[in-house]
Amino acid sequence: LGFVGYVGEFEQLVLFALVELGAEAYGGAIREAIERRTGRVVSSGAINTTLGRLSERKLVRSKIGEPMAGRAGRPRKYYAITPAGARVLKESYATVQRMAGGLLARLTDLAEEEV
Amino acid sequence: MNGRRVPRVLSWLAARLVRGPEAPFVLTDLDDCHDRDLTRGLPPWRARGRYAFNLIASALSLQAERLRPSGLRPSWVDVKLGLRMLVRYPVLTTVAVLTLAIGIPVGVAPAHLVDALEAPLPVDEADRVRLIRYWNVETIRTSPTSVADFHRWRDTLTSFRSLGAFRMTSYNFDPGTGQVVSVRGAEVSASTFAVLRVQPLLGRPFAAGDDRAGAAPVAIIGHDLWRVHFGSDPAAVGRTIRLGGEPYSVVGVMPAGFEFPAVQQIWLPLPDGSTGNPPSDRPVAVFGRLADDTSPESAEAELVVAGRDLAMAGATARERVMPEIVPTAFLLMGGLPKSGFRGLPEYPLIRLLTLIPLLVACANIGLLIFARTATRSSEFAVRTALGASRARILTQVFTEALVLAVLAAGVGLLVVRAAMDALVMRGMAAAGETLPYWVDFSLTQATVVRAMALAVLSAAIAGVVPAWRVTGRSVHQNIQRARAHRSGVRFGGLSSALLVVDVAIAVAAVSFGIGLAEQARATMENGEAAVGIEASQYLSAEIRLPGATAATGATSSDLVVLRTRLASTQRALLDRLQAEPGVRAVAIASALPRMDHPIQLVELDDEELAPGARGHRVRTALVDVGFFEALRHPILAGRSFNAADVADGASSVIVNTSFSDRLLGGANPIGRRVRYVSRGSGSRSGWYEIVGVVGHLGMHVLTPDHDEGIYHPAPPGAIHPVRLAIEVGDHPEQFTPRLRAIVADVEPHGVVVEPVALDRVYEGDSYLIAAIALGCMLLVGILLTLAASGIYAIMSFTVAERTREIGIRVALGADRARIAAHIVRRAILQLAIGAALGMPVAGRIFFELQEDAGHPSAILAMLMALGTGAGAMVLVGLVACVAPTLRALRITPVEAVKVEG
Repeated sequence: LGFVGYVGEFEQLVLFALVELGAEAYGGAIREAIERRTGRVVSSGAINTTLGRLSERKLVRSKIGEPMAGRAGRPRKYYAITPAGARVLKESYATVQRMAGGLLARLTDLAEEEV
Repeated sequence: MNGRRVPRVLSWLAARLVRGPEAPFVLTDLDDCHDRDLTRGLPPWRARGRYAFNLIASALSLQAERLRPSGLRPSWVDVKLGLRMLVRYPVLTTVAVLTLAIGIPVGVAPAHLVDALEAPLPVDEADRVRLIRYWNVETIRTSPTSVADFHRWRDTLTSFRSLGAFRMTSYNFDPGTGQVVSVRGAEVSASTFAVLRVQPLLGRPFAAGDDRAGAAPVAIIGHDLWRVHFGSDPAAVGRTIRLGGEPYSVVGVMPAGFEFPAVQQIWLPLPDGSTGNPPSDRPVAVFGRLADDTSPESAEAELVVAGRDLAMAGATARERVMPEIVPTAFLLMGGLPKSGFRGLPEYPLIRLLTLIPLLVACANIGLLIFARTATRSSEFAVRTALGASRARILTQVFTEALVLAVLAAGVGLLVVRAAMDALVMRGMAAAGETLPYWVDFSLTQATVVRAMALAVLSAAIAGVVPAWRVTGRSVHQNIQRARAHRSGVRFGGLSSALLVVDVAIAVAAVSFGIGLAEQARATMENGEAAVGIEASQYLSAEIRLPGATAATGATSSDLVVLRTRLASTQRALLDRLQAEPGVRAVAIASALPRMDHPIQLVELDDEELAPGARGHRVRTALVDVGFFEALRHPILAGRSFNAADVADGASSVIVNTSFSDRLLGGANPIGRRVRYVSRGSGSRSGWYEIVGVVGHLGMHVLTPDHDEGIYHPAPPGAIHPVRLAIEVGDHPEQFTPRLRAIVADVEPHGVVVEPVALDRVYEGDSYLIAAIALGCMLLVGILLTLAASGIYAIMSFTVAERTREIGIRVALGADRARIAAHIVRRAILQLAIGAALGMPVAGRIFFELQEDAGHPSAILAMLMALGTGAGAMVLVGLVACVAPTLRALRITPVEAVKVEG
């Protein structure tokens, strides 16, 4: 496949959330999934921006849901990871892992030294 | 949801802050998040806080998304559309390319020229090679450096790895054939070639002993000299040449293109006092290669400290002179401050002025693109309705304009390159002028980048501004107007105002052009007549004597010695020439008739100039006592100069008839007094008494019969370089070899420069006339093109605006010829109003530009110029009407019927 591109840390979080949520991946759910798994507070704006950029790169696709009565007839927008997105995520995550391979123990030592 | 709804105020805020196509999904997400927060047990106040936080973050991210450059990035489709537009609107393309091809190169010219003139030497690590000079803070000029300075700096400065020194001079060069030519050369320290890291192509560089007294005289020659005089023969090394009559052995040949420091072809060792050879008091230039890890600033700091120590020790009296380190390119530009051309106060103004043609071009092209964009408003309306954002449409129009501008910048740069080669370089070569070897005016990457930056700027001005106005209305309005086939864009009074300005500019440009053409014609025609003497009988030549300039710090006794030496040489030369068979007379002056004489300011004895007043502008010359007699130029009133006039304390001057006519109103000038007023400080010289009046001898190449002139008597030795006019009869140039021989006899190092018949002396400045004429023609051309393009833009826009109206008339059966006549009549009326309002302005400009503007012939010329300018502009305006009118007349009745207005 050659060069598949690379995604940053936050983009990886968003893409992993899409993998977890499957067909139920919309803004609110994605935010909650990230917060639940990482403990990080993230804003809807950051998630929307990231999803927009990933869509431009064709790493995710979106689908507009049915209008919802409880939401003044407004629909949700559902996102799904594309095969290209899955490849990029896999490669990006593997890159970090390869880089970190065997270094965690040393990293721990260094972090303690700092303290 | 379940009674736990988002507070109304937050919903209201969300509806206002979250806008755009993504808004519904974002609002749903915000509500979802709020519900989930409550579901997982967060207290309502916290859920509301998180809602507010998410709302602001979402609104900001949507706004940022709208402003993201990627949304404005031109696509390849836009570029293709832009290329198609070039073909579809050929007139707009032609006008835009023509005007931008002028505006963009003119805009980048100052930076390009400065880069070329300040370029480093073409040597290894050139930025490490620097010049050391003295800067006089009072005169704002450099002060000469001496061999003693060179020795001191060489021995004390640690910031430089090595130092070299040189002085430029000229030699009477004889390759051994007996034929003598003047060649520019330099005396250089033995270290020079090592500092520059340039080795001879053949032979060796100078060695330490070459500059010692009694050493065998050696020379290194340039590649061109070797090629021309020795046929590139490697055996030239070791041959003997003669310089100023003395034999020198050639020890080396420098590689092609090496002409250090400027245009030199011969190098001799600089006599170096430190090796037993007394250094002369002539100034030298000192340069060096900075030591590793030393910046020019720290080197200069060391230099200043060293200078201060010397001053403390009383070794130097230089109080207002500071040593400084500058790029090597500054060595030929003594008045240039350390900050270079860009540091001159005039530079920003020049840059601004050179951007004016581009701004005018952009305004005109903007109008044309406005007209084109306005006629395409229906296209934009449909695209907007289909979801294209305003930014998207602006990007498209910008890209179309950018395609035009880049094309124009390319054309402009190519034309400039061709013009540089064809006109400037060849012109200079024809005039015998050569640029320093490191100056290269060819296009550089930096210039191309600057031109492209200006192209982007032009596209932004000419493309985006009109599109912004056209797309500014709502989609609804646009669609309504599109249905009515109207752009809805009006100029109002602006078009009339622009027309007036354009017509005025055009008329002024034509007037200016006609005035210049007349002056150039007169100059050429007056070539022989205006000198007022039998110029064809005289040989003119300049004699330069080496060592005629004193270094900084030269004492007054040094100057007396120097002047005495020059005086004895001049006397000896005059005696020899007067004794020469065939020589009838010899005139000596600082400038000969028709040459450019320096300008000074004077005040008269009966006037008291206000402190800030400038005084009268006059041209001056120093002449020897028998000057007018030698030229057989009659004294019209008073007397000629005599020996008493050059005695100490004498103050006689002779003026020309322009001086007495213009400054004294024709009154008798004999006995009147004048004195000089300094331009800078306003200080006055002593008074000079007018003792005689002569006719015009021509004091400037362009204005042979205009300038007010003052002639000062000068004793021998006071003028250097001296210019001789030797009366020898017909074909005076045949006397040149004899003159060279006599000069070489009297002073072996004296160089004869530019020997030419006196009636052709102005031809030496012909490159100047050509350059001025070319520059003015270019200026007139630029002004005319810009004005014409502006008129074209406005006319074609106003006619295009009426396309619909014309279509309906045709559809209703109106006579096409009558409609066409109606349009043309209206156009002529608009232009006539423009001309009527613009011509008085142009007339005023004409009077400001022309001398003798009150003369009947000048008024006739002005009327002709105004008529020609206005006529030309009416023609351009009519041509601008033709294409839109024809387009309007082609509209079919079916199309017209569809229109509801």
